[in-house]
Amino acid sequence: MTLSTLRSTPHPRRRSIAAGGLAALVSVALAACGAPSASDSPSAASNISAGSGTGTLKVWALDGQSAENTAIQKIVSDFESTHPDIKVKMQFLPADSFAKALQTSSPADLPDVLEVDGPQIANLAYGQKIAPLSDYVSAATVQNQTDAVKGQNTVDGKLYAVSMMNSGLAMWGNKKLLDKAGVTMPKSASEAWTADEFTEVLKKLSAVVPNGKPLGIAENNGLSSEYGIYGFSPVLWSAGTPMIANGKASGALDSDTAVNALKKFASWKQFTNPDGDGTAFQSGQVALNWMGNWMYPAYAKALGNDLVVGPLPNFGKGAKTGSGTIAWSLGGHTKNGAAAGKLLDFLMSDPVVSTYTAANGAPPATKTTAASSPLYGAGKPLAFLRDQLDAACPTEDRLSQQCVAVSRPVTAGYPVVTSSFGKALTAIWGGADVAASLQAAARAIDRDFADNNNYK
Amino acid sequence: MTRVRSIKRSRLLSRTGRYALLVFFGLIFFVPVYYLLVGSLRPGDKVLGGLSALVPSDLSLDNYAGVFNRFSNDTTGYVWQFAGVSLAVTAIVVLGGLLVNSLAGYALARMKWRGRNIVLLLVTIMTIIPFEAVALPLYYMLSGQRNTLYVQALPFLANAFSIFLFYTYFLSIPVEVEEAATIDGAGPVRTLFQVVAPMSLPAYATVAILTFLGQWGQYLWPVLMITDTKLRPLPLELSVFQNAQPPEWGPVLAFGVLFVLPVLVVFLIFQRSFVASVASSGVKG
Amino acid sequence: MTLLIRSQARRTAPPTQRRKRLSSHAIMGPVMAAPALILLAVFLAIPFLGAIAMSFYRLQLNSTRAPRFIGLEQYSRLFTDPDISAAFLHSLGNNFTFAAVVVPVQTALALGLALLVNGKLRGMAVFRTMFFMPLVFPLALVAVVWRLIFARDDHGLLNSAISLFTGGSVGPHDWLGSSATAMGAIIVMSIWQSVSFQMIILLGGLQAVPHDLYEAASLDRAGRWSQFLHVTVPGIRNTLIFVALLTTVFSFRLFDQVYLLGQSGSVDIESTQTMMYQVITTGYDQNNIGQGAAMAVVFLVIVTIVAVIQRRLVRQEGSIR
Repeated sequence: MTLSTLRSTPHPRRRSIAAGGLAALVSVALAACGAPSASDSPSAASNISAGSGTGTLKVWALDGQSAENTAIQKIVSDFESTHPDIKVKMQFLPADSFAKALQTSSPADLPDVLEVDGPQIANLAYGQKIAPLSDYVSAATVQNQTDAVKGQNTVDGKLYAVSMMNSGLAMWGNKKLLDKAGVTMPKSASEAWTADEFTEVLKKLSAVVPNGKPLGIAENNGLSSEYGIYGFSPVLWSAGTPMIANGKASGALDSDTAVNALKKFASWKQFTNPDGDGTAFQSGQVALNWMGNWMYPAYAKALGNDLVVGPLPNFGKGAKTGSGTIAWSLGGHTKNGAAAGKLLDFLMSDPVVSTYTAANGAPPATKTTAASSPLYGAGKPLAFLRDQLDAACPTEDRLSQQCVAVSRPVTAGYPVVTSSFGKALTAIWGGADVAASLQAAARAIDRDFADNNNYK
Repeated sequence: MTRVRSIKRSRLLSRTGRYALLVFFGLIFFVPVYYLLVGSLRPGDKVLGGLSALVPSDLSLDNYAGVFNRFSNDTTGYVWQFAGVSLAVTAIVVLGGLLVNSLAGYALARMKWRGRNIVLLLVTIMTIIPFEAVALPLYYMLSGQRNTLYVQALPFLANAFSIFLFYTYFLSIPVEVEEAATIDGAGPVRTLFQVVAPMSLPAYATVAILTFLGQWGQYLWPVLMITDTKLRPLPLELSVFQNAQPPEWGPVLAFGVLFVLPVLVVFLIFQRSFVASVASSGVKG
Repeated sequence: MTLLIRSQARRTAPPTQRRKRLSSHAIMGPVMAAPALILLAVFLAIPFLGAIAMSFYRLQLNSTRAPRFIGLEQYSRLFTDPDISAAFLHSLGNNFTFAAVVVPVQTALALGLALLVNGKLRGMAVFRTMFFMPLVFPLALVAVVWRLIFARDDHGLLNSAISLFTGGSVGPHDWLGSSATAMGAIIVMSIWQSVSFQMIILLGGLQAVPHDLYEAASLDRAGRWSQFLHVTVPGIRNTLIFVALLTTVFSFRLFDQVYLLGQSGSVDIESTQTMMYQVITTGYDQNNIGQGAAMAVVFLVIVTIVAVIQRRLVRQEGSIR
């Protein structure tokens, strides 16, 4: 996109002279700068080519946990030694500026292979920052991806990313405290506490924790951050409504079903430990913690055999969990697609996925490794989380009573969805009117969609 | 009315009263600094521990080691590399800024030329425009220059507020001094740098320090312009530990200390002249 | 600021003396000013015109579609669309609240501190250093440290201190998260970070007040308060105005603290969001560049009006004297 196209914008009569003059001035100033030219019919596939299958690959990875960083560097150097004709130049980028780095990069700057955040995939595909990759990775790699991540990684029927790992939410319990209050953790999604039962459970547990606030929801992550929509959109799904239905948020995100579910959720604030540093559960101040799989190592270390895990509360249409996380994509303008595909195939191979998920404790996202995972395999401590992910909806337009794992809305307008929902959730948790907050969020989302021609 | 007492020392009621106030405010100002420092030397889970977070126990350099270990190869970048980029960009902006802004300030304060008053008005207006308001159009203009060192510095060289500070300071210098130099045949550039500048060290120091402080924390612009690890300045990396799950408060604070340390050292060394200079470059009554 | 320019200009040499020297500068003047002026034009003025142009378009950073010209729609939304205008006007209100508190409080505190450190006491250097230290903190770090201090549970430093001093009778409070105290908390951290700069400028003003004025005043048996009002304040009047103007302009730019704390989810955005916050979140985070640009343009018009009004008020007051 470039402002040089301003000059050819076909509304000359609607422009005031002053505005036109300014625009011309600016476009002249900007035209010289060699930004990529715009096109009205995006077609990402035409921007990439297979290349020779050798040479240097530019790779961008998210600066993640230390263990992940170490693991991925080791994996990449293994790839180089098994593929002597391909060199990998990888660099880490901090998470908070990663999206901006992608948005601002010119085609020439873009990497050949990159990590992408799951829910942003549709947006990145729309901006041609990433390309469909089925032609470049092997059929076996695609075949081996679990349904849950395929839901996240597929946009308009095309696969834009492949995943080494997935993620899932659960209710983590401190068995000692639960026992004290006479509470038993449900063992499967179908046995989940209803929302009303959960309120009763919290009341019982208030008596057994030091400050009377037995629930943790990782407020320290920030409800207006990406964690807000990841962690708490299952409340809506479980109540039976998607956030976006038929390309509109109105009637879905602000439906009575959604309003009532979030009202219930907000009523639990009185039982919620603020948990400023995310350690209240480990230190036994909190009996039940609403959290993702990635905290398991810390919890297991602190609680040992007292750690129990179960589903999130059921708001009426079956317990749900969020799913989806960082995945790997093909750069939208790579001229070395064949070599990039080899790297992606390598990343998705069983030993690599096993090494990587062992390093960060995430659920493997490939079928062959998920079953044999030392953490998530049958009978292993987190088998429950894999059961949830195996029961994938996998997208919010296919909710049902039985399915559990749902990806965040797959839409190119996702940035406004997450920011609007986060804002509403923060306001609701802070005590604002639930219906008004959700209606405002729905309006903001629909306005953005309409402004952008529904991202067609 | 203690404030009034301090005006005239002969009428001070008590040194004790002043000391009490100084200690009170001093503590308020210092506690957060101390908190940062102590927190950076203690395990991360002790950072949020109420008042006990201020107790200097369990001290170690582990958090600092964590920071350096985290950034330890070409893929991650190095702490010294980020700091080097920040230092280089800041140095260019400070030194270049002193030059161009003092030249302009002098031309506005001491020289008569067509359009001077309009320029002065425009400069005054431009002090109001925050950089954030122009960053995106500037990104489009300069998108071909991404991932360079100079593009991080160029937009900040000229600074309307610095010009304004130089302008006011130069006005307050007795004009006779320069006239003597002019009679000796010196041109305006020579007069500025040989006669006026040595008399205006406070103004130069003020602008230098303000520019340094503003530039050292620059975040938005490098986010838009820099993806290359080798060219990334320090502030972009501050978030890495904060975004961890759960936040690694120890390394966050250690990184914070490493972040302010160079500034603090410079500042403490020049504190005396800084105070003198800012004080005297302020507009006098 | 024009006021200051005028008061300064009066002190320069008389015109007859200057004429000869100045006439030779018709060329050198623009030449010396040129580097800075060209840089300002290229990196501030033209991009700002660019921002004005963008405000007539709908465009996104990531989009492959051409920007679409929509005339004044971004502006009309800003004032008529219930959601956008509510948020924007609310932010505007927050800006004024912030400025209305910070300008007088910070100026007064800066004056108080300047009076306090103006003079020789043993250990004064140490105290001055303590006051100045926050100045070197980049705002990103200020936000981190104060977020921990204001943490809402009893692990927060402030809550813990209050609990100690009240013997536990006052429970923990969510300083940043509660709409009643969020803005106050932002104000405290902003003043903490920057008051010493104003203090130094005022210190210069104080030191420039001629000492004999105080002696005359004490001969007249003026009380300390009366001395302060009739000697000190008039003596540093211009400095005070300068500081107040400066603080006003900077207080309208309030953004970093709110934004950084907002990202970590620890602050009540509703009661702390400001115009610059809207500009950035709309233009950058929501990628609605045209709307963000329109906000920036309106923001600058408002700040300019505030600056002009403030200057007028000050000038009128001056003419009475």
